[in-house]
Amino acid sequence: MKLDPLSIPYRTGESVLRLAWLLVFLFLGSPLDGLTGAGLLVVGWFVVALAYQLVYYQRFEYELTDDSLDIVSGVVSRRNREIPVRRVQNVDISRNVVQRLLGLAQINLETAGGSSTEASLNCVSEDEARRLQSAIGQLKREEAQTAADDEPAVEERRLFDITPKELALLGVTGIDLRLLSVVTVVLPVVAPSLRERFADPLVGLAVTAPLAAVVIVAVAAVISGVLAVTNYYGFRLSRRSEELQYERGLLQRFSGTIPLEKVQTLAVSESFIARQLGYASLAVETAGYGPDDAGSQSAVPLADRDRVLSLAASVEAFDDPDFRRPPRRARQRYVGRYGAVAAVAVGAVFAADRLTTLPVAWYWAGVLLPVAPVAAHLKWVNLGYDVQPEYVVLREGFWTRTTTVVPYYRVQTVLNSRTVFQRRRRLATLVVDTAGSSGLTGGQPRALDIDADRAAELREAVANRLQESLNRRQEKRRRERLRSIEPPTAGTT
Amino acid sequence: MDANTERGDGEPFDEPLTPAVRPVGAEENADGAAAGETIQVEELTGSRRTLDPTIQRVWVLQAAVPSLVLGGIAGAAFAFLPIGDAWVGTVVATVVFALAAVLAMLRYRSWAYEVRGDSLYLERGVITDVTTVVPYVRIQHVDASRGPIERAFGLATTVVYTAGSRGADVSIPGLSPERAEDLQARLKQLTIAAEGEDAV
Repeated sequence: MKLDPLSIPYRTGESVLRLAWLLVFLFLGSPLDGLTGAGLLVVGWFVVALAYQLVYYQRFEYELTDDSLDIVSGVVSRRNREIPVRRVQNVDISRNVVQRLLGLAQINLETAGGSSTEASLNCVSEDEARRLQSAIGQLKREEAQTAADDEPAVEERRLFDITPKELALLGVTGIDLRLLSVVTVVLPVVAPSLRERFADPLVGLAVTAPLAAVVIVAVAAVISGVLAVTNYYGFRLSRRSEELQYERGLLQRFSGTIPLEKVQTLAVSESFIARQLGYASLAVETAGYGPDDAGSQSAVPLADRDRVLSLAASVEAFDDPDFRRPPRRARQRYVGRYGAVAAVAVGAVFAADRLTTLPVAWYWAGVLLPVAPVAAHLKWVNLGYDVQPEYVVLREGFWTRTTTVVPYYRVQTVLNSRTVFQRRRRLATLVVDTAGSSGLTGGQPRALDIDADRAAELREAVANRLQESLNRRQEKRRRERLRSIEPPTAGTT
Repeated sequence: MDANTERGDGEPFDEPLTPAVRPVGAEENADGAAAGETIQVEELTGSRRTLDPTIQRVWVLQAAVPSLVLGGIAGAAFAFLPIGDAWVGTVVATVVFALAAVLAMLRYRSWAYEVRGDSLYLERGVITDVTTVVPYVRIQHVDASRGPIERAFGLATTVVYTAGSRGADVSIPGLSPERAEDLQARLKQLTIAAEGEDAV
C-alpha cells in the first residue's frame, strides 16, 4: 500500500511553511530586495520539496500482514521495518485542520521500549487510517486468543461522552490555584517598590492586590478554558472488547487506542476546584511510551467523581479504597518543614528590605508563618494508602489530589527509602515502581512518610503478592490453554 | 579443511538448536522428569553479603576530581575577592575531599545485598537509606560493567535492568570480577527459573 497521493502536496506545503517561518524571522524589517530574495528562496525550496516528496511518496510502501506491519521507506537510505502487531501498544490517529480539509490522517504506532514513536504514516486517507486502526486491533486480539472458541462479534460500547457542562468545568478546574496563592502573597510584598518605581498609576496597588489576583485567575481561566475546549471538544471514550478507544479535539482531531492488557496503573486526580464540585479525572498509564506523551493518557478528562471511580473499577477491579493515613508524627514533620521555609522566606524579604534601597512591605510575608501549620495539616490529610488483595491504592497531593491504583502483577521493583530527617521520626517512603512512565501524575506511585516498620513490612508484602498474583495469572492461562486443547482430544477418544 | 567444506556442502542448519530458554511446564508429563535438571533455586541463593572493601578507595579517588575542581573555582574566586586569598581554594579542596572520604566509608558500611529465593534485595545509602526488592520475574537483562578506576583496583559492577522507570538504578558496585560474573550467572539462572510473563 502507498500513502494517500494528497500527502504529497500536504507534506510539500508543510516543509515550505517551515522554511517561510524561518525566513520571516530572518528578513523581518530588512529592505525590500531582501524580501524578493526570500521569495525566490521559497519558490526554489518549493520545487525541491515537491520533487523530494514525490520521490518519498514513490518509495514509501507499507503492508499489514497477518502478524506484522511492514514498512519500506527512505529516499536515500532505505529502511525496511517489520513491526510485530502483538507488540504494538497504541495506534494513534491525529488530524489537524489542513489534514481534515484534505481528508487525510496521520497514524503513529507506539511500541513498548524505544523512546520515540515507532512508526509514523504521514499521511493516509481517513478511511484507511480507521481501517488500519481497527485491523491492527483485530489482529492483536486474534493473536492473543487461542484459536478454539469463537470470538463474539466485536461490539463497541460507549463509555463516556463529554457534556458541554463538563467541558466548561474542565476549563475552570484546570486552573492552577498555586498561582493565586503566589499572587496574593508576592504582590503586596513588592507593592511599595513598584509604587515608587512607577509613581502615580500604581498607587494603592497594595489594596488592589487581591483584585489583581482575581484578574490573573480570570485570565488563566480563559486560557485554560480555551485549551480545554480545543483539546477535549467532543471527547468520546468507548470500549471494544479489550481496548479503550478515545477521540478528541476541536481543531486537531486525535483518536487513539489504549489496550487494556498493557495498562500499568490508573490515576484518578482531582484538582482543588474539581474536588469541591465533586468532579475528577481519570488517566491510564501504559508501558514505555514516547516522552512527549509520557505514557499517561487521559481516559476521562473530567466527570462526576463516582462515575470516574466506577469507570476505573471497570478497568481494574479494585475495591472502594479505605485509606490509612501516615502517623501523626509525619504531620509534625511537615509543620517543621513548612515553618522553616516560611521563616527563611520572611528572613529573605526582610533582608531585601534592609540591604537594598527598594522599600518592601516585608511584614506581609509574615502571613506565611501561621499558614505553615495549616498547609502541613492539609498535606497530611490528603496522604493515604490502602493495601487491597489485588491492588495497592496510593493517594497524595492537596492542590491536585492523585489516587493511583497499582495492580500487584504490574509491580517492577519495590523500595522503601528513609532520609536523615525521616529516620529521626521513624518514617519511611514506600515506592512501588511500575513500567508506566509516570507523566501527568508526576513521579512514581508512593506512600509518603509511613511508619518505617510498616514500610518494610509492606515492601515484602507487595513483592510477595506480586509473585502470588503472577502465579495465579499463569495458572489461569494454563487452564485456558488446556481447555482450548481438550475438546478435540475428548472427541477422538 | 576437508571436513569444513563437507559441512559447507551439507545443510548448515542440520543441527537442532537447543533453546536457551525453555518454557517452564510447557509439557505436563515433562514436569516430573524435568524437575531433576531444572534450576535448583536453593543452590543459587546466598546469604547477606557486603561489598569488597576496596570499593572505598575507588569512591575516594572518584571524589578527588570534583573536589579539585571545586577547590580551583574557590581559589580563583578568592584570588579576585578583597577578602581571603588563593589558599582558600586548597582549604576548600581538602575539606571537600575529607568529607567525600568519610562519605565513601559510610557508604561502604551501608551497602548490602542478598540473592533471595524470588528476588534480589539491596540496601544502601548514607543520607537517604534505600532498600530495594527486585523480583527476578522483572529482570530484563544483567550487565557487568568495569570503569577505568574500577579496573585499576580489580573491581566490577553488576547492573540489573528492569522495565521500571527506575531500571538502571539497580546496580551493585564493588564486586570482584569473579563475584560479579558469578552474580550475573546466578541472576540469569534465577530469572530463567522465574520466567513467566512478559516482563512489562
